[in-house]
Amino acid sequence: MPLRSSRFPVVERRWRLACDKESQSAGATDSLKVVPYLPTDSELAAAFIDRKKREGSVRGFGIRTSHSVKGSDSWVDDPITRHIISLNIDKEEQGESHFIWPVILHVKGPFYLLALPLVEPHHLKTYARMCNRSDCGNTIGEDENLSSLLLDLPSITGAFMVVHTIGDIVTGDITEPEVVASASPSVGGLLDSLTGSIGISGRAKPVATPIAASATSSTSVSGTLASDAPKIGSRSLDKDALQSFISSAMPFGTPMDLSYSNISAMKMNGFSSVDVPSADSKQPAWKPYLYRGKQRILFTIHETVHVAMYDRDEIPDSITASGQVNCRAELEGLPDVSFPLTGLGSAHVELLSFHPCAQVPEHGGDKHAVTFSPPLGNFLLMRYQVSDGIRPPVKGFYQLSMVSENEGAFLFKLRLMEGYKTPLSLEFCTVTMLFPRRMVVSCDGTPSIGTVFSTERSVEWRIITSGRGVSGKSIEATFSGTLKFVPWQTKKPPSSGSVFGSIDDEDSDFETDSPNNIVNVEDFLAEKMSKDLQAVDLEEPFCWQAYSYAKVSFKMVGSTLSGMSIDPKSVSIFPAVKAPVELSAQVTSGEYILWNTLGKCPVAATRKA
Amino acid sequence: MTTPPPPPKPLSSQEWETLIEDYNHGRLHRWTTYDYAGPPLVDLALSSILRKDFSLHLKQRLLIFLEEHSISLFTSPASLLRLLETLRLVIQSPNPNDAVSLSFSFKEQFLISTTSIFIVHGTFATADFETLEGLVELLLTIVNRPNHGIDRQTRAVACECLRELELAFPCLLSEIAAHIWGLCQSERTHAAQSYVLLLAAVIHSIVVYDKAPNVSILNASTPLFPFNVPRIFFENDKDGDDSDDIVGDDDEKNVSSASSNLKETNVRYKELRRVISFLLEWPQYLTCGGVLEFMRMTMPVANALELQASLLKVQFSGLIYTFDPLLCHAYLGMYLRLLDSFDGQEMEIANRLVLQSKELYLSYQNNVVFQLLSVHWLLGLIQLVIGRDVTKRKSFADVMSLSFYPAIFDPLALKSLKLDLAAYCSVLLDDFGTLKRYANGGTMTVEVGSEVSVVKLLEDGLMCVSGFKWLPPWSTETAVAFRTFHKFLVGTSSHSDLNESDSSSKRSPMELPIFCAIQGMLIESTLKFQGLVPLIVSFVDRLLGCYKHRWLGEWLLETFNESFIPKLNIDYKLGSYFPILERISANERVSPTGLLELLANYMVVLIKKHGPDTGLKSWCQGSKILGICRTMMIHHHSSSLFLGLSRLLAFACLYFPDLEVRDHARTYLRMLVCIPGKKLRDLLNIGEQLPGISPSTNSSSFFNLQSPRYHDPKKSRNISSYIHLERTVPLLVRQSWSLSLPVLRLDDDKQSLESFKDNKTTGEPKELDRSSSSIEIVSDINRISQLQEPLRVMDSKVSEMVGILRKHFASIPDFRHFPGLKIKIPCVLSFDSELFNHSVGTSIPSDSCGIDSLPAIYATVLKFSSSAPYGNIPSYHIPFLLGQPVKKDYSFSETNSLDIVPVGNGSAEDKRFKAHVMIELEPREPQPGVINVHIQTNADNSEIIQGQLHSIKVGIEDMFLKAIVPEDVPTEAVPNYCLDLFNALWEACGTSSSTGRETFVLKGGKGVAAISGTQSVKLLEVPFMSLIQAVQRCLAPFVVSVTGEPLINIVKGGEIIREVVWKDSDSDSLSEAPNPDARLDGGPLYIQYMDDENEKGPHLQISKRDMGCFLILIFLPPRFHLLFKMEVCDVSTLVRVRTDHWPCLAYVDELLEALFIE
Repeated sequence: MPLRSSRFPVVERRWRLACDKESQSAGATDSLKVVPYLPTDSELAAAFIDRKKREGSVRGFGIRTSHSVKGSDSWVDDPITRHIISLNIDKEEQGESHFIWPVILHVKGPFYLLALPLVEPHHLKTYARMCNRSDCGNTIGEDENLSSLLLDLPSITGAFMVVHTIGDIVTGDITEPEVVASASPSVGGLLDSLTGSIGISGRAKPVATPIAASATSSTSVSGTLASDAPKIGSRSLDKDALQSFISSAMPFGTPMDLSYSNISAMKMNGFSSVDVPSADSKQPAWKPYLYRGKQRILFTIHETVHVAMYDRDEIPDSITASGQVNCRAELEGLPDVSFPLTGLGSAHVELLSFHPCAQVPEHGGDKHAVTFSPPLGNFLLMRYQVSDGIRPPVKGFYQLSMVSENEGAFLFKLRLMEGYKTPLSLEFCTVTMLFPRRMVVSCDGTPSIGTVFSTERSVEWRIITSGRGVSGKSIEATFSGTLKFVPWQTKKPPSSGSVFGSIDDEDSDFETDSPNNIVNVEDFLAEKMSKDLQAVDLEEPFCWQAYSYAKVSFKMVGSTLSGMSIDPKSVSIFPAVKAPVELSAQVTSGEYILWNTLGKCPVAATRKA
Repeated sequence: MTTPPPPPKPLSSQEWETLIEDYNHGRLHRWTTYDYAGPPLVDLALSSILRKDFSLHLKQRLLIFLEEHSISLFTSPASLLRLLETLRLVIQSPNPNDAVSLSFSFKEQFLISTTSIFIVHGTFATADFETLEGLVELLLTIVNRPNHGIDRQTRAVACECLRELELAFPCLLSEIAAHIWGLCQSERTHAAQSYVLLLAAVIHSIVVYDKAPNVSILNASTPLFPFNVPRIFFENDKDGDDSDDIVGDDDEKNVSSASSNLKETNVRYKELRRVISFLLEWPQYLTCGGVLEFMRMTMPVANALELQASLLKVQFSGLIYTFDPLLCHAYLGMYLRLLDSFDGQEMEIANRLVLQSKELYLSYQNNVVFQLLSVHWLLGLIQLVIGRDVTKRKSFADVMSLSFYPAIFDPLALKSLKLDLAAYCSVLLDDFGTLKRYANGGTMTVEVGSEVSVVKLLEDGLMCVSGFKWLPPWSTETAVAFRTFHKFLVGTSSHSDLNESDSSSKRSPMELPIFCAIQGMLIESTLKFQGLVPLIVSFVDRLLGCYKHRWLGEWLLETFNESFIPKLNIDYKLGSYFPILERISANERVSPTGLLELLANYMVVLIKKHGPDTGLKSWCQGSKILGICRTMMIHHHSSSLFLGLSRLLAFACLYFPDLEVRDHARTYLRMLVCIPGKKLRDLLNIGEQLPGISPSTNSSSFFNLQSPRYHDPKKSRNISSYIHLERTVPLLVRQSWSLSLPVLRLDDDKQSLESFKDNKTTGEPKELDRSSSSIEIVSDINRISQLQEPLRVMDSKVSEMVGILRKHFASIPDFRHFPGLKIKIPCVLSFDSELFNHSVGTSIPSDSCGIDSLPAIYATVLKFSSSAPYGNIPSYHIPFLLGQPVKKDYSFSETNSLDIVPVGNGSAEDKRFKAHVMIELEPREPQPGVINVHIQTNADNSEIIQGQLHSIKVGIEDMFLKAIVPEDVPTEAVPNYCLDLFNALWEACGTSSSTGRETFVLKGGKGVAAISGTQSVKLLEVPFMSLIQAVQRCLAPFVVSVTGEPLINIVKGGEIIREVVWKDSDSDSLSEAPNPDARLDGGPLYIQYMDDENEKGPHLQISKRDMGCFLILIFLPPRFHLLFKMEVCDVSTLVRVRTDHWPCLAYVDELLEALFIE
């Protein structure tokens, strides 16, 4: 049952009018008739559950498989149909069936958020035709295709923005970009700066209790939000908080401002006579309050490194760093800030995107300069990505060899911080061997440095623990030993849960291989274990469980890997004001994977220009 | 007393909560029955809203409730008025000091809800304008205080309300546009966005709908208060048409007319330009949603005003560089509107979108959906641009093919979309090559460079899901990989392209390197990883199921047949490839030869490897092989299969270790041999709806027939009129009669003749005999040996004769204890198609031609019965029989017969329409009779037909058998043995036989027989030549000796009578025709005959010349004999007849006449 829903009669009216118009113009010849029908909450929930049954999981197959049926989303054969779904409302009494599309589906925590944006009737018809085609599936040059449809429908994009924001509110996940100041490790968000400036002390933590869902819709029609989650803690207060957010963010169904921090600040504080608008310039809608107090600017550059390390001749290691510049500008009035980006010439930095308040630097040449009019609080100023010319901070190899079915020998040989100098320092570094499918009985071996903790499913090697940061020198670390596992037990993968289910294994032919046929114990084991593998969701990069690897996690502070930097001296503020500029930088590991050199590993071709 | 129903009782806050919940879930009845519905409920809600004791939260919920259910609640205009009054009260009430922000948000919600309700009830009668005017006036009052401090958010909301009203009723506010502009200019707080958007909306309707041509935007001509609905609304309303009120995205059509009008009114044009340039300064101050709305309003206006695109570009170009997906999309929306002015920038935008999709793990909460969206936008954009300008293909393809390699940590959804892009690039590159080809005037200069890179594109792209090969077939990687294969394969021919309905003729797949590459990849990896088999199968199925790409599926099967099958190792692993083989076998276009060979070899392997542990496996694999054979039979012409398949099946029948498999193989083999193509396929297809999908294992569905339907018994009555069972050789004696011997018949089962009895004492019961112990048997044997001893004194000649007879009778089986001697009557079953169809009512599709149009009967069972003593007649089974075509169809089917006849040669014509039936009799007594025939069969429509056919007559000649020759007689001695036997029997059947009381033990030693002979003569007045011919034709097998030189000379040359004893009558006394005894015995008859002759005239006597003699020995089952001695003269022949079964003489006479005289 849906826990909360919101409808927007104005949008519903538009839909009805559009349908009337469509049916007038289309006449009787059109086989697909769009009825201005809008389901009740219960009907919607029932249809949603029905779809879940039909498509195997909440999101569905996404790709056309042998289980797909005509008329369903996976028949369209596009992964995005896991997010933009269609529902069939069957009204048994009237013998009618209504096709509802596009329903935006967002899964957040225990909640399923659904939104139904307004589209034109002809869009709906196009999609209905697409999922009822009798041929073998869309080719790309097709006249009617999902891409053109999505390009034509900003309302879908808007609906996604809305459900994401609401999902965050519902689960209490509203976070602001982290900005690190030298004085205090982390600075609070908008409300802190607001309360600090207007003298209200403290603020309530963002609502973290699971709120019974709410619903919304976006640039459009009645949105309904359903949740299968148990109805826990659905306190009316939280519902009201959500409702008031929806009323303010999209009073008539069209999202006007999705900034939760701004809206909740306005709800909580209102405006007083002290809030005088700036005399000489217009106050942007995204900055309802102006800062008053001691002025300063903080920048934090945060890089995340994704590495796939193979240690094989035929496969090059892959390393990318994605970075973002977070900012907090505590400046009075509505000044413009600008600074040049240095260090971009050396690495292959691709500038990805900017905050809407930024004016985009002229590209061409190395002169990247960013100008922006900062909003209140912490914000993400820009993102970039570096895919070349970075030295991996942890380098080396990992080998795990199974000497018998339940016993393996492993070896790590790593070099940390090779080629990195101060001020970059390594705060902590941990390497974890993960065995999500096997239970570890024991792990023998002593590392050359650090300590070892083993749990049921993993062995964690803490090379450097926090508090003992290392900088200015490179470290060599080796670790070899043996592992014992609980004997492998074949279990049937559960039929539900995975995207594609398991194909009925009626053939016993797979079991025709006896162990004698395979000489190698590892191959035998791999063969045996791969039968139990479950399909991963399309949102995963690959089937993690099929591979053997170790994961590195670390944090470095003091500088960036890419060389991206901001020179505090060159930061200029207009109108000129004296404000200190602070810069901090940190590097953390994202997917930092050491593939077992002796096992299988996923690869991707690298681009060669 | 008719008082109006009392208003419903006020509800507590708890009750309100329940009511709202119930309304939301459609559980209305419990409230509506108590009148909590419609206007009374509205009144109740509004009064609750004014109550002080209700919390603001509940009041807000009530407002939302009223808003969401306004259609059902606000059924009277009075409710709207009441709502407006309540709103006024709330707005004008002061804010309580303790909850300022709360009460503001309550007021804001009230404004929103009221506006919403007013809009939904949008068709106003003239009277209702006042209510609307009241609302607008109230809103304007709120809005008209720019820069006022604390209620700025409320003012913003009021602006939103006004804007929404303007959108719902375009031009509602156009007359006060000047006031709104003024307010816009003075507002400086963040609420300015709402003012600006309101202005933009008003301007939008002025330009697009052009309903207020005389209003100046710069100078306020009308006062703000009191607000009046513009006159045009009244005019409009008179037309009764408010459908224009919709704000759809159909601005374009209005814009064109609007812009032409604008030109004419120059002053207006300038005003609008001023406003729009004011508005265009604003985007940077707007929120993301605000920008989107702003663009929606101003873009049509800018279009109508024919503003330069560069102006807009400057304002909005930053949007594409933001990380807000909504802003990017807004930019793309603008770009799509102004494609011409933005010409040349598509690569920049494409690059932006490429970058956006790369925001790995950084984008919105790591949610992949925005990455997917940006790839989709890119795809849509490229299609749009290329649709307009084909020359841009190459640049797109080149850039993207490099930038869209999936990265290792990309989610699979993104990988698969990137692979889509790669597939699209391959299409672009390929089409580019094609273009080049045509440009070069048809010379086939293929752009090698680009096409090679297409293959590389695929290979590199697929690398990111390379795990698909060895991961289990249900893994997501495999799904993505096969999806990509599909995209690359079908990429070049889209479904919407109707011109190329049959691409196979246009382009051979092998022409394209990409096809070769895919084929190679599939074959190679499938050989290595059997897990891929189900994937390959569903992949092929997917293609086969498509009207457009069926040819690709077939091509794929062909390549698998050619390149895959020969590479397969023949071992148990082969079993896992069966699904593929099944598909190959099901495809008509693929020659089954290779597959059959493979299966046959596999069969051999299975048989060789069979052991105690492999029973189940052998059965499973064997059944699967047969399943494939069956599929082949369903889908292929029998002629192409026949040789290989019949060999395979025969081999399986003979050697396969599993019984069931052998049985099935036998069934299939039988069907393959007997039933022609189409019928066979139809038969096998019973119960199978989808020809493409064959059953997974063996032929269970074959046995799964529809429940039998019995043919209408009325129809069965005349069944003999169209189903015919006829003797192959007609009887000589047409008019048959049967000698009825009631005495003999009565004890048919016991002892047909008194001479034929058990050698035991009669009193001994049979049952005892059967259960007798071995001692009894021993005594039997003793008795037999005793019996064999001559009991009486005889002369040597007699004893020799008796010896011969003893030997002879000892080889005659005693039908009471052994299987008796069998008489075979060959017959032919056929039926008439036309009459059959007419009678059974099977409708054969008219379009089918030749043999396919003929009906058939299946599994026919003929059952025989007879009143004559023929013993138990086994029924006869005919698996399949085709109806005889109507005469005129004959030539027709002849022409088409080539492809259907299983045994493809000329003589097959008859075989197809006629089934040979062999009736086997086991006569207890040699006598003619009638056999009744009952048929039970199945028609094409599985209807069961049964009934009686015409009877089959059995003549005495059917009983004729050659004498049984004991096994110990060497072949070369057979003629002499037969002659000796003849002589002995002749002697024994004589009237004064010395063997009269002799008994002879039959084979097995249990029964004994005695000979009681009879004799007769017959004069045949036929010339000798016709007699000889008749003998040669009908009696040749039974001739044991020919005597007389003239006769020998004639007969020997004919070579029909062979291996008999040839004797000159003069030289050999034994073969002397008239045996002294016989002459003596036959004396009276002979004399009589001679007398007759004499009467006829002496010339006959004179001209009569003895030519020789035929000695003919006929064995009549179960143990009798018929002996002819034909004394041949040139004009007549005397036949002396002797037999030990006197009743047969009656038929012999007729027979001889029919044989020789007619």
